[in-house]
This record gives sequence, C-alpha cells and structure tokens, in this order.
Amino acid sequence: MSSSITPNERLLRVPGPELALHWRSSRHARRLLTLSVAGVFIALLARRPEFAGVAAPALLLLAAGRAQRRPARISVRVRPSATRAFEGELVALDVRAEGHGDSHVWWTLHPGPDIDPGDVTAAEGPQARFTFTPERWGRRQIGTMDVVLRDRWRLAEGHLTVTLPKLDCYPAPADQRTTVVLRRLPNRLGEHPARTSGEGIEFFGVREYVPGDRQRSINWPASTRRGRLQVNTFAAERSQDVVLLADATSDVGVPGSSALDLALRGAAAAARAYLEGRDRVGVITYQWGGVSWLGPGLGRRQLYRIIDSMLASPVLANTGGYARGASFRRLPRAALPPGALVVVFSPLLDQRFVETLRDMRERGFTLLVVDVLNAEPPTRWRREDRLAKRIWRMEQEAIRFSLRELGVPVVHWDGVQSLDLPLAAHTRRPLAARR
Amino acid sequence: MTGTAAIRGAPVLLGAGCVAWAAAPLVNSGWAGFALFLAILGVAAGTLRLVLAGVPTPEESYLLSAPVRFWLKFLDILRLVPWEEGALVAILWLEVLHPAPPWHTAVLGAALIGYLLATHLAESGASPEALRPQARVLAIGAGLLALGAGAGMLPAVGPGAGSALLRLVAAGALIAAAGLVLPYVAAPAPPTPPGSPGSPGSPASGRGTPGGR
Repeated sequence: MSSSITPNERLLRVPGPELALHWRSSRHARRLLTLSVAGVFIALLARRPEFAGVAAPALLLLAAGRAQRRPARISVRVRPSATRAFEGELVALDVRAEGHGDSHVWWTLHPGPDIDPGDVTAAEGPQARFTFTPERWGRRQIGTMDVVLRDRWRLAEGHLTVTLPKLDCYPAPADQRTTVVLRRLPNRLGEHPARTSGEGIEFFGVREYVPGDRQRSINWPASTRRGRLQVNTFAAERSQDVVLLADATSDVGVPGSSALDLALRGAAAAARAYLEGRDRVGVITYQWGGVSWLGPGLGRRQLYRIIDSMLASPVLANTGGYARGASFRRLPRAALPPGALVVVFSPLLDQRFVETLRDMRERGFTLLVVDVLNAEPPTRWRREDRLAKRIWRMEQEAIRFSLRELGVPVVHWDGVQSLDLPLAAHTRRPLAARR
Repeated sequence: MTGTAAIRGAPVLLGAGCVAWAAAPLVNSGWAGFALFLAILGVAAGTLRLVLAGVPTPEESYLLSAPVRFWLKFLDILRLVPWEEGALVAILWLEVLHPAPPWHTAVLGAALIGYLLATHLAESGASPEALRPQARVLAIGAGLLALGAGAGMLPAVGPGAGSALLRLVAAGALIAAAGLVLPYVAAPAPPTPPGSPGSPGSPASGRGTPGGR
C-alpha cells in the first residue's frame, strides 16, 4: 500500500457510526460441516464406526467455534484525504474499525466507475489505508468498502458494506504557458505591455526631457546625438478581461478524450494561464441554447470557482435535461464585459452555437476558437456511407472557413500536445479586434 | 521451498494423497469411476481456485471481447462452486466402496482434516500460527479418530445389525462427551490489552494483498 500521504489520524480518532454485522459461516466452516455430515451419514448407513471417527475432529472444531465471541455491531470510520481532486491525482482513503473485539478485520475496496484503485484493493487490520486515482472529471462515487470480520478460528464471518463518500473530480488542466493578448487593452493595471507609454518595464520610445522626469530615465546616447536631453519611455502594463466559453452541447469521442473532456481541460488550462498573468477570467458554459456563467475575477481561488461553475452546470453534473439557466442572448455585462477576449472551446457541431459565435463576432467581441473535435462519425465500408462522411467533413470545413472569414481564428487542439502549440500564431503578437 | 509456497502447495499434495489413498486399489462397483472423476475434479478445481484467487475481475463488464467474457465466466464458476466439498464427499464415497480396514479410514480422516486446514490457510493467507488456538481441540479430535478406528476393529459381539449399531452408538457417545468437555478446553482468548497489535486503538497494521482477492 502506498503511504506517500500522511495518515489523517486526527479525523480517524473521532468515533464513526455503529453499523450492524451480518454473520454467517465461512467457507472453512462449510467444508468442515460437509465432512462431518458425510462422515456421520456414512457411519450410520454403512454401520462403520470409523467414519464417525472421521467426522469427530470436524464436529469438535465446529462446536468449539460456536463458543467464540462475535460483536453484533462495530464502529467504522472512513475518511478520504481530500473531497476534491484533479484527474489523475492520488487520493488516500483511511479506514478504521472499532469494537471488533478479537476478530480479524478484512477490508476490500470496490471502486466506483472511473476510479482507479491502484494495485491494492484489500487489506487486513483494524486500520488501513487505500489509495486511488479518479480517472475522469465529475462528481464521482468512490465506491463501496466491504468489511469482513473473522473470528479467531475463522469459522464465522461478519459482513458489512460501507458506501464511500463522493469525490469532486476536476478536469486536469492541459499544459499552457503562453497567453493571447488583445491589441486594445482596458485601462486597468496589469502585466501585459500596452501600446501606450506608462510605468512598465518594457521599452516604448524616446522623447524630449520635460521638467519632472526622472534623471535615471535620461537616454544619454540619444541626448548626445540630438544636443538636448532625451528620456526613455516605457510601455504601460494593463490587464484584460478573458471569458472562456465552453461548449457542453456535444460529447463525442472516446470517453476520457472526448470533445467535452478536451473542452473542460482546455478551459481549465486557459483559466490557470490567464489568471497567472493577472487577467480577470470568467467562464460561460453553453448547453443547448442555455448557459451558466461566472463573471470575470482575479486570483487563484477564481480557478476553482471556474471549474466548479463548469461542473455544476446541469448537463455536466449529470442531472439530465436541458439547462434552465440564462439565455445566451440575455447575458449581463458582468458575464460578458465589452472588449473582453472570448476563448471558445467547442467541437463546433451545434449549428445554433456556431450562429451564436457569429452573432458575438458581429457585436464586436474578439473571439478565438479552439476546435476540440477529435472524432468522426463511424461509417461502414459502403459507398453511400463514405459519401456521407465526405459531405460531413466538407460541412465541418465550411463552418470553420465561415468563422475565419468573419475574423475568428479557429485552431485545432488534439488534447495531447500543449495548448501553446496551436495558439502559437496568436500568442506572438497582440490579437486585433477587427470590426 | 519458501513458507508461502509450502502453504500454497500443501493442499495440492494432501488432496492428491487423499484421492490416491481412497482410490487404490481401484474397484469397478458402485460408480467408483465416477466418484474418482469427481474427487480428482474437485481437488484440481479447488487448487486452481486458490492459484487464481489473486486475479482481479473488472468492475465494469461492458464491451468486453468474447474470450475475456469467457474467462470471467470461468473465474466466476471456479470461485462459486464448492469444489472442496464435492471432493470430500467423493473421497469418502471411494473409501466406502473399498473393504478397507478401519485404520485405513482413520488415516484418511486425518489427511482430510489436514487437507481442509491447508486449504483454509492457503485461501486466507494466514500463517500456520493461526491454528495454534485450535491445537487442543485438534488433539481431542485425533483421539476420537483413533477411538473410532479402534471401535471399528473390535470384533462384533454377535452377528447381525444390532451389534454394529451398538458400536456406532458408542462412537457417537464419545463424540458427544468430547463436545461437552470442549468449552473448558477451547476457552476464548483473553481480552487484548490496549496498544497491542490488533487492538482497536493500535496504530496502522494494514497488510496489502496485490490485485485484490
């Protein structure tokens, strides 16, 4: 068992709920019973007392086993090391039983869907530690824990099943270090060099000295050439508003690397990268015309708010049905501030969503679409099917072409490589918002 | 041979020995062939079950290939059927078919108990030390086994079924008497002092089993 995480001793000291055990004979007891019954039966039938002797040791063991003390109820405490984790993150689960007397306790972990239990799923002892890894984002049931108590002679087993708590699994953010920066930045202090002079650290130009300028900013070579004092000017540093738009309408592809998986991982990566650049980041989750949103904000805590907001939307929370949130056309300025950079993560399969993007572009928003479609419709080896597939591909290309014609860059991301690679063409220079 | 290998190998050897002891010499009456087949099948399948006990089964059984589904079904059957019980009955049946002397049956009884205890140790992963509390009961059982064989070897008082029945009643009375003595022989373990391994307040003493059970 892995023990890389320190045991949660303090929490385990608190007594857990008392649960009733269901006692029954063990396999060993059933085998002894078979031997004794068969021996006695043959002894009676064949009138051979030596067979009664064969049955005697088994009968004695069974009779002695009945005298063992067996607790009717035990206290079981279950504590995961975290209630929230990212995909692929190691989580520990501490279990402890009390009131088991001199019985041996055996734990067996039955992991829930998309929970990888690792190498160890069973342990013996009154206290044990398991480790597991959630494999896919979502609100996951860790699974169930079978607790088996065996008396000293292993002739009876007390069974108990404990339902383990749920775990909020966040999508693992993809790798992204660079950010796309708008050419026109709002007048707010930040870390991106703007196209106006200010108090930043990046060289902007040279101008004539005016009283009040700092002496240390005098550019002596330029002053010597021109015969008058010249000073260096520096670019102002501003921040931008970034709105991440995750399209949760279609979830196509292999589970684990589907379009929705990639959209969420990409959005989480973008949120982390922009928040590290001191930008205000918000999120809008789109589902079948409805949306759930979180206004732009700053700070590390905003990253978790964004992921929580995406996972809490009705479709992603597996509550089923259509979203009953706000309509995309009636979003408040707090959700979609004017002049914000909108980074879209979508497979572009829903025509209404594409129309929404066109509408946003026409309203003057600067959009950047990250295409997360990595699957094609399955086809049989028939001429009609292949023809349909070609038409489908052409439609997809046409959708992307029409967006590019409107001035919306569309880049494709396969979910494996870093997001910096498809975005490289747009991170090298500021993104212009053409109207 | 290491201790683990010895514990794993003991049920195979004892099971095979019991089958051979009960079957030799082979007779052709009373479905002896079928009983022999059942005994061999039971011992072999029980051994296979112990060997494959550590093979994990996937929680989700959707979209599995046909060979994998067949393999999982095979594992299910192997783990659900009580092979050892079948083998016990078949071995006793083979023994009945032989006109064996009572000491022969007593040896078989001792070997069968050994087979069951070895199987139990192998499937629970416990060490032979786990049998220490049962030593006195097993000793009484061995005594009764010997007494049973002795009762079988006593010459009959007279011809007829009544004499055999009398010996049976005597053997039964012995077993019952031993059962009455048991509570004094197999007293429950004294309460474990707090802080010792295995007690509720003791620190972690988990022991992992790779791949589940």
